[in-house]
Amino acid sequence: MLFLQLLINGLQTGAIYALTAAGFALIFGATRIFHFAHGTAFTLAGYAFLFAWRADWPGWAGVLVAVAAATLFGMAMERFVYRPIQRHEGSFFTVFVAAFGVGIVVQNLIGLLAGRGLATVDTSLSFGTEVLPEIFVAPILWIAIGTAAVLFAALTVFLTRSHAGVALRALAQNPDLIRTYGLSANGLSVLAFAIGSALAAPAAIITAMTSGLNEAIGHQVMLISIAATIVGGIGSLRGAALAGLMLGVAESLALQFVDTQWAEAVSFLVLFAFILFRPSGIFGVAAAR
Amino acid sequence: MIAYLSNLATQVAIFGILAATLNFILGYAGIFSIAHAVFFGLGAYAGAQIALLLVPDVVLACIVAAAIAGGLSLCLALPALRVRGEYFVAASLGLQMVAVTLFSELKPLTGGIGGLVGIPLPTLFGVPVGVLPVALAALALILLATALLARGSFGRTLTAIRDAESAAEALGKNVAAAKTLAVGFACAGAGVAGALYALHTSFVNVESFTMDYSVLMMAMVIIGGTGTLWGPLIGTVLLLSLPAALAFLPFLPATEVGAVQQIIIGLAMTLLMIFRPAGLVGDLSRGQTTA
Amino acid sequence: MSAARGNNEAPLRCEGLARSFGGLQAVAGVSLALPAGQVTALVGPNGAGKTTLFNLITGNLRADAGTAWVRGQPITGLKPWQVARLGVARSFQDLRLFTHMTVRDNVLAATERSAWFWQPGGAAGRKRRQAAAEAALEATGLASLADARAIDLAYAERKFLSLARILAAEAEIWLLDEPASGLDLASRMRFADLLRSATRRGVAICLIEHNLDVVAELSDRIAFLDQGRVIAEGDPQSILRDPALAAIYFGDRHEPASAAAETEA
Repeated sequence: MLFLQLLINGLQTGAIYALTAAGFALIFGATRIFHFAHGTAFTLAGYAFLFAWRADWPGWAGVLVAVAAATLFGMAMERFVYRPIQRHEGSFFTVFVAAFGVGIVVQNLIGLLAGRGLATVDTSLSFGTEVLPEIFVAPILWIAIGTAAVLFAALTVFLTRSHAGVALRALAQNPDLIRTYGLSANGLSVLAFAIGSALAAPAAIITAMTSGLNEAIGHQVMLISIAATIVGGIGSLRGAALAGLMLGVAESLALQFVDTQWAEAVSFLVLFAFILFRPSGIFGVAAAR
Repeated sequence: MIAYLSNLATQVAIFGILAATLNFILGYAGIFSIAHAVFFGLGAYAGAQIALLLVPDVVLACIVAAAIAGGLSLCLALPALRVRGEYFVAASLGLQMVAVTLFSELKPLTGGIGGLVGIPLPTLFGVPVGVLPVALAALALILLATALLARGSFGRTLTAIRDAESAAEALGKNVAAAKTLAVGFACAGAGVAGALYALHTSFVNVESFTMDYSVLMMAMVIIGGTGTLWGPLIGTVLLLSLPAALAFLPFLPATEVGAVQQIIIGLAMTLLMIFRPAGLVGDLSRGQTTA
Repeated sequence: MSAARGNNEAPLRCEGLARSFGGLQAVAGVSLALPAGQVTALVGPNGAGKTTLFNLITGNLRADAGTAWVRGQPITGLKPWQVARLGVARSFQDLRLFTHMTVRDNVLAATERSAWFWQPGGAAGRKRRQAAAEAALEATGLASLADARAIDLAYAERKFLSLARILAAEAEIWLLDEPASGLDLASRMRFADLLRSATRRGVAICLIEHNLDVVAELSDRIAFLDQGRVIAEGDPQSILRDPALAAIYFGDRHEPASAAAETEA
């Protein structure tokens, strides 16, 4: 029974991981920018929701604020950090340090403003009811899985059907081609950051309502996103989402054997194993070198 | 005042070693580790245990610490050989996070959250010594070693690998061995710094080996200038005097100094990368390598 | 076709090398021998598998089938750096210079093979390596630019720097990927001189080249590659005059039936 309960919890965590990882993979796939501040978008969205809730705003307003926070942050990063750096032939290192610096600033600002340590949003949605003997399911589980499913469906339609979506996928392969089709690579890049970052917002909201936030949660989110991207195969959005789901389930199931503080160690071990033995990921073909 | 200055000087020497060794893999080999504090910690715990269980001999503590940190650096080197920069950063991020959990949980070795207390004062072959002269000597030695290695054929090999790994390999260079050696050397150096730190403060716990410290070390290197000899040292002095400078701001509550310091560091890193990626010292060509 | 065995065996030869990517058979069983002191040109249309063949020989790609030998020693399965140490030097189409190092350091790095903290041979060894580096710089006309950084060089100078690295490495087998493309006439003459003095020393050279004039001027033999296999081999005149090959080369192809024949290893 414990197994089933952990599996259910794992699906919920997995849905969150899948959304976050897909956002990261989308940005990386379209722009080739290793967006190391993706975890920061998550953190900002989560705390925006938390502040809205503390101010007694209605739920939908909180969600709106959270999505806006993540989206605006992603767009601002593209415009004010990554684009200037890429203008002067920025290496991976330059991009990484700049993004990492932003993450540290945000983490500590939030620590100053919201206080350090665990912060949760408690609503009736996160209270579990016993659906089977010893199996507790909270409404938030269905919200998490439903949100993830709807968003992935919408994303798939967008990427395959819409003009901008197709262009977004083409951007990675050939930026010059995009230009000849009269689309702006800069505009598409901003779009990728907006959508990718927005995907982190629902994940952050659900996290705030379940396991809770802390100001340093961005690092963990980053680790998961990168792990999912590697495990799923670089350049594969679907792979990243699936791998995120798997990591969530694996972390949760591992709790049968180890204490909670080791949960992230599980993800790390999976990542480590993949880097060592299969750096191209499950679905990837290109070597990561 | 003398005690304060001597403490600051010791800190500068210890963090100077950390920055210099991190700079070695970061600036020359292009291996970006956010896990340097892990090896600092390994060395500190090793040095502390030697002092507690055996003798507080500073040289012995340093040697054991270097051996343990250098040996375990394979944890870092192995992924570095398999994947390119981005993924290696992720692996080191993961290593840093897991190491903090390990340090807090492995009570018999690390004393858990409480840490190891009552580390005896250091001696050298049975004679009591201060940490400062030893730390300064170690810093000088490590600066000399990094300078020699960086200017010699090993530095050329690392830079060649950083600039064009496949070409270096096509010229007969065993890339895996060179990277492993570089990482081992840098981590062993961090271990030495750890042992000195343990003997200096006579108390170590996991607080000093968190990601914040890895970030601090990285900031020292980057703000000073990667791939330069003196840059990291200048960065070290600047960042270590930051808390003292902040203490002069009357409106800042003491509990928030740490956060404000981190914000300044983060801002400095981002702004430098946008406007002056080579750091304060150093020619602009460095740090712009397209790896 | 295949190399003569015995004392005068070719320094490098391969037999049946094959490699496919997904469903695409990039190299489909290539047998080739590079004789000492000769320039062998690999010619063929785009996508014929020329660079892939280099990658299979140097160990950058693992072969699905086939073996390569350096002086009779099998090199299949060795890592690129191990192949290099057996005396196989290669250049890359995109050069892959050590961009932020000086020209001299680029060449010196080619002479220093040990990945250990220091090089073997002590002071005498260092002197020898420095001499080799200076000689390579002299021969490629880069001596006056020795202290410039590779990234600041002009196009032709970069190409010569990539050659200087190979010269300094003192290899007996050179695999050159489009070394002469984009060179002006004067540079090409210098390049030809370099190749000739190398072949006089007994170096076996294989070069990929698209410009057939350059091929005619430089090569002693031609191996014509199409769709992953050597379809003709011989002296330059007979190959370059063959109208069927010219048709394939210039894309006027009458689809040969053999395309899908060899998908299995």
